[in-house]
Amino acid sequence: MDQQGAGGDAEVPAGLGLTAAEYEQLRSTVDAHHRYAVGEGQCSSLLAQRIHAPPEAVWAVVRRFDCPQVYKHFIRSCALRPDPEAGDALCPGRLREVSVISGLPASTSTERLDLLDDAARVFGFSITGGEHRLRNYRSVTTVSELADPAICTVVLESYVVDVPDGNTEDDTRLFADTVIRLNLQKLKSVAEANAAEAAATTNSVLLPRPAE
Amino acid sequence: MAEICCEEAKSTPATAVAAASVSATAAAAAAVAVASSALERRRRRLEMRRFRVASDPEELVAEDVRAAKRQRLARTLSGSCPDAGSDSDRPALPRYGVTSVCGRRREMEDTVSIRPDFLPGTSKHNFFGVFDGHGCSHVATMCQDNMHEVVADEHTKAASGEETAWKGVMERSFSRLDEQAASWATSRSRDEPACRCEQQMPLRCDHVGSTAVVAVVSPSHVVVANAGDSRAVLSRGGVPVPLSVDHKPDRPDELARIEAAGGRVIYWDGARVLGVLAMSRAIGDRYLKPFVSSEPEVTVTERTDDDECLILASDGLWDVVTNEMACEVVRACFRSNGPPAPAARPNGVALPAAGAGAEDGSAVVKGVGKEDSDKACSDAAMLLAKLALARRSADNVSVVVVDLRRGI
Repeated sequence: MDQQGAGGDAEVPAGLGLTAAEYEQLRSTVDAHHRYAVGEGQCSSLLAQRIHAPPEAVWAVVRRFDCPQVYKHFIRSCALRPDPEAGDALCPGRLREVSVISGLPASTSTERLDLLDDAARVFGFSITGGEHRLRNYRSVTTVSELADPAICTVVLESYVVDVPDGNTEDDTRLFADTVIRLNLQKLKSVAEANAAEAAATTNSVLLPRPAE
Repeated sequence: MAEICCEEAKSTPATAVAAASVSATAAAAAAVAVASSALERRRRRLEMRRFRVASDPEELVAEDVRAAKRQRLARTLSGSCPDAGSDSDRPALPRYGVTSVCGRRREMEDTVSIRPDFLPGTSKHNFFGVFDGHGCSHVATMCQDNMHEVVADEHTKAASGEETAWKGVMERSFSRLDEQAASWATSRSRDEPACRCEQQMPLRCDHVGSTAVVAVVSPSHVVVANAGDSRAVLSRGGVPVPLSVDHKPDRPDELARIEAAGGRVIYWDGARVLGVLAMSRAIGDRYLKPFVSSEPEVTVTERTDDDECLILASDGLWDVVTNEMACEVVRACFRSNGPPAPAARPNGVALPAAGAGAEDGSAVVKGVGKEDSDKACSDAAMLLAKLALARRSADNVSVVVVDLRRGI
């Protein structure tokens, strides 16, 4: 993120919750996918979540542009906008209409799939419309495998967004970070539960059959 | 006034205004005019529930039987045991009216619970609760089904009948409901209907909650416990007396409490905890603990001969109607209906067919049947709801009006 100080590159961004060793392994991912040209009146943030599940299991959930409610809070329903050319394929340019649960400062959100790279495990979307206060919101989520000091999956999610009139950068970051942090925690629960279930299935298949 | 309420579909604005000018004060007339001028436009969109009293004695008896049956059905569906007593032992009902409308929201997430004579071994304590859900309706429904039983249980445990015990009773009751909300997904019994938020995995609904404003009315006192931004108001000698204070995040003491706990309140379409939730206390909402607390504020108010009514309502009403206006509307309905009939309630109109939803355990109002309500109070509740809709309330609107007048 551009606002980091000159010496900042050597340090882990504050509040990220990663160790220096972990961050070092993620540096190339951050440099490639989580840096933004943050303009005046905008703000940006990067959040991280450790998940004890294989990266491919985590990625299988993250990449579901058509079904974000599997791991995102606050979604009442989601519908892909029909695209005759694409059919069911998830490819950049697809739009989804998200309906938000009651009690929140939003009711709908129209979102565009910007990036879906299965090889690199990079997912990006932007918000193009709807009833909410997040204008020009763009987000990227990456799923990375760490090996040191222990095998672990780390999900990074970053965004850039306009600061609404009447609010500060801090306000905006607090609101967006709260929602993303909750979503990442749910992603952790879902992915770890799925992995545990898959492991149980695998174990039962691999167990030697009793002698007949 | 009766003509407006009972002949809603047939009235013209001119007729409504004319009727209002005869029977209401200027302020109430203005309210009626505003409400009635919007009636035709909104008629097709309203999902109004109506409560009327049967005028025919024979029909009244038949309705008593049907009402008792519906009550037993509702109680069974909500998990409680049917009453052991026979119908003829039913206590005299409190004079109340209730209405609940979806309004401009996409979903109805308000619930109302009215439980006459709900304390075992103690007579004449009536329970009234309004619960305004958010995120989904299951927390509000759980409060509707369970709050009165938990309060009765805590009251029994408290042993002392003194009024000072009510604060502890209510605080423990709200805490228990909050725990039930947190464990709802995992502990829900198989035969309870699933709600839509449960379709998502995993089975955790931390972002669902409800306000709760609860009143226990006894012959000598009114006890109110509140968490959230629903509200209870007493009308005493024509003056509104708030029995609860809304838990908005920017209320100075709530703001201080939240910040002391490490939270923040930002203005994001109004003051919101972490920019997300527009109230500082609620049942449920585990994801915002400890900033959003379920601890109720409790008031115990001694009743007086000057007391006219108690109004419990969700913020769908209070956001657009002042305490003063609400009390004035009720007083106008009381005047136009004359003294309440103590027994058969002969003033009334033919009972319409029972509405859908009353039989499947998921009614917005539980604990009583429609014909149990009092006409003047019902008129007042309906008029208040219409006024809120006319003023373009953006939320569900639920209103309970309780007649507190004595000696009549």
